[in-house]
Amino acid sequence: MGMGSFLARRVLTFIPTLIGVLLITYLIAYAIPADPVRAWVGEKLMNPQTLEQIKIKYKFNAPWYEQFSFLVHQLLTGELEDPVRHRNVFTEITSRFGVTVEVAIIGFIFLVAIGMPLGLLAAIFKDTPLDFAVRIMALVGSSLPSFVLYYFLILLLFVYTRTTYLAGIPEPTLACRTYVSSLPEFIPVLGHVASALGNVPMFAAMMCGELSVVGETFKRLYLPGLALGLLNGGFIARIVRNSLLDAFSAEFILYGKARGLRRISLWKHAFKNALVPLITVLGLNLGGLLSGAIIAETVFNIPGIGRYMYEAIMRLNFPVIIACTFLVAIVYVTINLVVDILYAVVDPRIRY
Amino acid sequence: MEMLYKALKRAIWLYASFRERLSPGWITKNSSRIKEWELMAYAYSKSPIGVVGGAIVFIMFILAVIGPFIAWEPYWEYKIVTLGEEYRYRAPCLPPGCSGEPILGTDEWGRDLLAMSLYGIRISFVISIVVVLLGAPLGIILGLLAGYKGGVVDEVIMRVTDVFLAFPGLVLAIAFASVLPQRIRGFLESNSIARAFFAALFGLRETEYGQIAALLSIWFAMVLVWWPGYTRVVRGSVLSVREMPFIEAAKLAGLSTWRILIKHILPNVISPVIVMMTFDIATATLFAAALSFLGLGPQEPVPELGFLISKAGQFFPERSAHVVLYLGALLLIMALGWNLLGDALRDILDPRTRRAIEYRLEKEKKR
Repeated sequence: MGMGSFLARRVLTFIPTLIGVLLITYLIAYAIPADPVRAWVGEKLMNPQTLEQIKIKYKFNAPWYEQFSFLVHQLLTGELEDPVRHRNVFTEITSRFGVTVEVAIIGFIFLVAIGMPLGLLAAIFKDTPLDFAVRIMALVGSSLPSFVLYYFLILLLFVYTRTTYLAGIPEPTLACRTYVSSLPEFIPVLGHVASALGNVPMFAAMMCGELSVVGETFKRLYLPGLALGLLNGGFIARIVRNSLLDAFSAEFILYGKARGLRRISLWKHAFKNALVPLITVLGLNLGGLLSGAIIAETVFNIPGIGRYMYEAIMRLNFPVIIACTFLVAIVYVTINLVVDILYAVVDPRIRY
Repeated sequence: MEMLYKALKRAIWLYASFRERLSPGWITKNSSRIKEWELMAYAYSKSPIGVVGGAIVFIMFILAVIGPFIAWEPYWEYKIVTLGEEYRYRAPCLPPGCSGEPILGTDEWGRDLLAMSLYGIRISFVISIVVVLLGAPLGIILGLLAGYKGGVVDEVIMRVTDVFLAFPGLVLAIAFASVLPQRIRGFLESNSIARAFFAALFGLRETEYGQIAALLSIWFAMVLVWWPGYTRVVRGSVLSVREMPFIEAAKLAGLSTWRILIKHILPNVISPVIVMMTFDIATATLFAAALSFLGLGPQEPVPELGFLISKAGQFFPERSAHVVLYLGALLLIMALGWNLLGDALRDILDPRTRRAIEYRLEKEKKR
């Protein structure tokens, strides 16, 4: 079976998954005994007429399948409106997802920068105090309540030393944003890609060469990134260590030794074979980061997709919940697919 | 360590003689199984990580059982110290300087933090254990069915699993936890037996059934998101086990599907699942704390650890650093105990480790 048909088959299995996600989200929302319209309008503006208008607009009096198909239709045509903020859900999601992507990228950089070298060192110095320390770090990292670590990093790096700040997200200048959004007019296909990437403030700033904004973004967001890296770095290091040692005890290494290969090239061969489990775990981590670290976004006051989803759930704002979960589910299944493709890239024995 | 091994061995033989009493001949029939258990006990007593983890879990278990009974301050009595409206937290105070004062300071309502954490341990412990004990079997049964039956059953179960795995667990749990409380509240209101049972289970007062409903909704929400991981793991192992000759033999002997699944396949796939469950109890402890940290769990006066930390977070760090530090450390220790135990169990339940130990013991005997 070729790569093409594998891709086609995998993309086809997305469809039932995504429909299932929508259905479950909707059923949860439908199960709410309270009246969501009241929660949307708020006590101040509440009068029977507005309530009735909203009820008609979102088809609350219709049976559930009509409501559901109405929501899905609006979702797919991109017309869904946030009933609390009265803005298009997709405009809101695009800007918030941009921020989440920034946090995810910075967190991922920290994760790799902490996990990989530590894992490598633990494998080289196997069964030494260093190896034991990495093992303990992994165990403590997975036992520490994340919010407690966040509070103490804030205490250390914000309250005492002021190396970061906890409000707002650095944005590129207006001229830059206009430039990026006008890119599709100059460049046919890549322009669209570029302007889509430009929804992430950091990328837009890079495209216009506003490097100070990029620097500010790092200054604002390195704290959550560092926290995420510290929490999961030990675990990544353990994976790197174990799969390296597994690969190192394989017969091809013995053969390499017998042939008189240098140590460094032996490690290179071992590392390539250790990549498969590592890619799985890193992919899962990236998927988790991209779906919004709700607690980190709450504690560090970051207006990302996780916070948006959380606020929506608390206000029973299910048009937003449905749109957000749809996006997150797409991100998740796509990353799984990319991971599967990467397997074939790093390991020539895997064919689809 | 030697003592631990002897105690575990005695427990194994106690169980064996109990089974022997029920059905004579059990010991002879299962002598190889008993030998494996003895080797496991030996491996465990030789693993410092496992012993430390087991000790932590045991202490937490004792504290969870007796905690609400020995807590010297009832959690429903607020003792707000009037030093102006804002200074409700009291800092920790060590005995030589101040006798009679709370050693670890107080929470927002002036209650002794040490006493409150005794209630909190009970709640966290009960939730984490029950979530895994309910969620894992659900996932295991679905995984067994999907792997063994194959075909349409497999396809349907795995598609549903994929749907649940495509959500971030926390989001799904928040969604469930936000819609469930009102329903559970209604149920508790009308059912006095359930009310008394759950109040006793969580160490709370029966009149706070609204809070108990909030706790139960976290609990249900977590069970609902907990099973898919198990389904996937179990299905994977079942796929390889079901091709083995002994399953063929069991089928030819005319055993029923359930008997084959429970008696012959389950024991062969259970080891990684037990390790996973141990790790998951740690995760569930933190997960429940995170949910109530986000405000989905019980509210005051229930001293749930995550909730107390989120309250203290509002005044962090000036007035409440001690609350975050102490309760955070408590949660860390609770989770760490299970994680250490799981880390050790992974080695102990691996048959290769046992063969290595057996080999070494044989060699020592010969010498």
